[in-house]
Amino acid sequence: MNKFLRSSAFTLAFGYVAFGIAALILFAAPLWYAYYVTLQDARREGLRTDSQRLTEIFRRQGVSGLSTYIDNRVGMQIPGERILLFADSTLHPLSGNLPSWPASVPAESGEYDLPITLSGSNTRAMFVENELPGGYRLLVGRDQALFAPLAARFWFGLAAAIAVLSIAGVVGGLMIRRAVLMRVDGIHNTVQAIVRGDWSHRLPTKAASDELNTLSMTINGMLDQIEQLLHGVRDVSNSIAHDLRTPLAELRSRLEELSLTRPEAEETFAEIDGAVVDVDRVILIFNALLRLAEIDTGMRRSGFVPVNAADVARQAVDFYLPAAELKGVTLSYRGTGPGHLSGDPVLLAQAIGNLIDNALKYTSAGGAISVEVHELADSSVQITVADDGPGIPDEEKPKVSARFYRGDASRGTPGVGLGLTLVASVAKVHSGALELGDNHPGLRATMVIAAQTAGALPTVLASADPAEAGENAVTGAANVGATSAHGGSRAAADAHNLRIRSVS
Amino acid sequence: MKVLLVEDNERVTRFVVKGLQEAGHVADHADNGRDGMFLAASEPYDVIIMDRMLPGQIDGLAIIEALRKAGNRTPILILSALSDVDERIKGLKSGGDDYLTKPFAFGELLARLDALNRRVQGSGTQTSLRVGDLHVDLLSRKASRGTRAIALQPQEFKLLEYLMRHEGQVVTRTMLLENVWDYHFDPQTNVVDVHISKLRQKIESDSERPLLRTVRNAGYMLTADE
Repeated sequence: MNKFLRSSAFTLAFGYVAFGIAALILFAAPLWYAYYVTLQDARREGLRTDSQRLTEIFRRQGVSGLSTYIDNRVGMQIPGERILLFADSTLHPLSGNLPSWPASVPAESGEYDLPITLSGSNTRAMFVENELPGGYRLLVGRDQALFAPLAARFWFGLAAAIAVLSIAGVVGGLMIRRAVLMRVDGIHNTVQAIVRGDWSHRLPTKAASDELNTLSMTINGMLDQIEQLLHGVRDVSNSIAHDLRTPLAELRSRLEELSLTRPEAEETFAEIDGAVVDVDRVILIFNALLRLAEIDTGMRRSGFVPVNAADVARQAVDFYLPAAELKGVTLSYRGTGPGHLSGDPVLLAQAIGNLIDNALKYTSAGGAISVEVHELADSSVQITVADDGPGIPDEEKPKVSARFYRGDASRGTPGVGLGLTLVASVAKVHSGALELGDNHPGLRATMVIAAQTAGALPTVLASADPAEAGENAVTGAANVGATSAHGGSRAAADAHNLRIRSVS
Repeated sequence: MKVLLVEDNERVTRFVVKGLQEAGHVADHADNGRDGMFLAASEPYDVIIMDRMLPGQIDGLAIIEALRKAGNRTPILILSALSDVDERIKGLKSGGDDYLTKPFAFGELLARLDALNRRVQGSGTQTSLRVGDLHVDLLSRKASRGTRAIALQPQEFKLLEYLMRHEGQVVTRTMLLENVWDYHFDPQTNVVDVHISKLRQKIESDSERPLLRTVRNAGYMLTADE
């Protein structure tokens, strides 16, 4: 019961019942008052009329006439209908249905509502007292006790209504609580299962869009996101285990062989240099995997700023242009519109760079690569890198794409697979996708980035620290890269601060 | 250059101290936060190399914050195994001047230390730079060698400006990527080398003395010295 008292359903039911009772009383009280006053007035009026009629009889027929009339009337009336008393100036009763003048009634003309004792029982009565010529007194009254049942019935009715209301409230509260509890218990059980590590569970949802359902759907969305993050972490661990073991094994055998064979100094140094190259390769894969994980988990979304995709693409083209010229490949930028989007300029630059790098690898001398940025009608942004190299056969495209998304492409070569995996991840973190199309001939790699990424940020994951973002955000970000004497990393950090700031 | 190394890993310490000595620098070292803090506060150093995770109560970032609060302006390079962008930002916000992730190549470390040391000495705004007979006007964005005007693309100008500001110092490929292009990732190709060779063609004609040298296993250096 204690649990019930503390439940929200009870609080709600209790509130409604209390409100209902208050409304009922507010309605009944004036009603009763009006009724009571009217009734009393009517009674008093009746007594007055009676008193006047008896006074008239006294005036016409004298003391004996009125005495006879009263005696007759007392003999005929229903018991308790009227209290009648005709007394002389010493208050000695001459006729009527009271044995003596009641002690509580004063010997003075007027209207009274007084407690009296009638045939041994205490009650209350209304009187109209009149002094007749010659000092005689006439008392006409009515026992109020006759009306008591009416009042009792009224109050009983009110009490009954309140009781029914209260019972209905408690029962209703219990029923609501049961209904809510069943759904809350469902949520509770699901969450418990998830806490125990079974991530396949989701909160039950219905087609109806009530508050609890909306909340459940939001929580399910959050769970999906968390599960995805967990998978990301697991994928990275698997990839690291797989991809790093191979070069580490090579390195180990190289060193062990060196230790066993103990060759000449010259050869030893060559082997050591080789070992350093092996280690560098391990570090390279390691960093790339960590970066992929960082992107996949969506952490970078906290650093999203308004980006001009065309500028990023143009800079990437400028960066790779000398390399393209050296290879005899035409690298050109073609685009329409500035390509406004909300994103991470560093990631976008790296993604575009990887696409250009990839295209350069597969395009032979005399070939052409074009980088395009288009703003589509729905203001989503399309970033395309197209080459006229051998391309990817159609039947391989879906397979290749699928592999990218799982991150398995990182297995083996750190070159191509990892590069395109990163592009796919960058597109995904920008709520977009990487599409591989045919350029007739060649490959046409397109990142389509949805326009509304700024508004659709999952705030759950944005972990910008307001305290951190507040200070030091103004320094040097405007001239990142331009002032070379200024530490580049420092300027980059400042730029990042600006990003955090503009999001929070 | 007098360098303080605060680092608890013995092997890394030996490697760095030996390398610095071979490069003609003086290196002190502390293997815990308290000693490091004491040395940094009491001795004048040109550059401090600070590990982030140290034994004892004080960690690297706390030392840096304390030094900066006390008004110590010695350039500090943070050396750390934490490579996240966020960690990097935290390090630089605490008052560090540069951030290098472990594992690192010694050439990269040395080049960055040189750059930090030079930054303090060569402060103040310059309107023109000169290395030998190579001259760059930073206001009109024009370059010339002797009397010969050199036509440069904006990016080439930026690259040259950076190299000239670090005259006589080794500049690594990573430093160029970060500072000239603002690319904080490894493009995994030799694009920087191609940019350098293109620039070299423009600033060194056949009859002129070479200025831009390639330093094996490290990077590049622009110098007028023989």
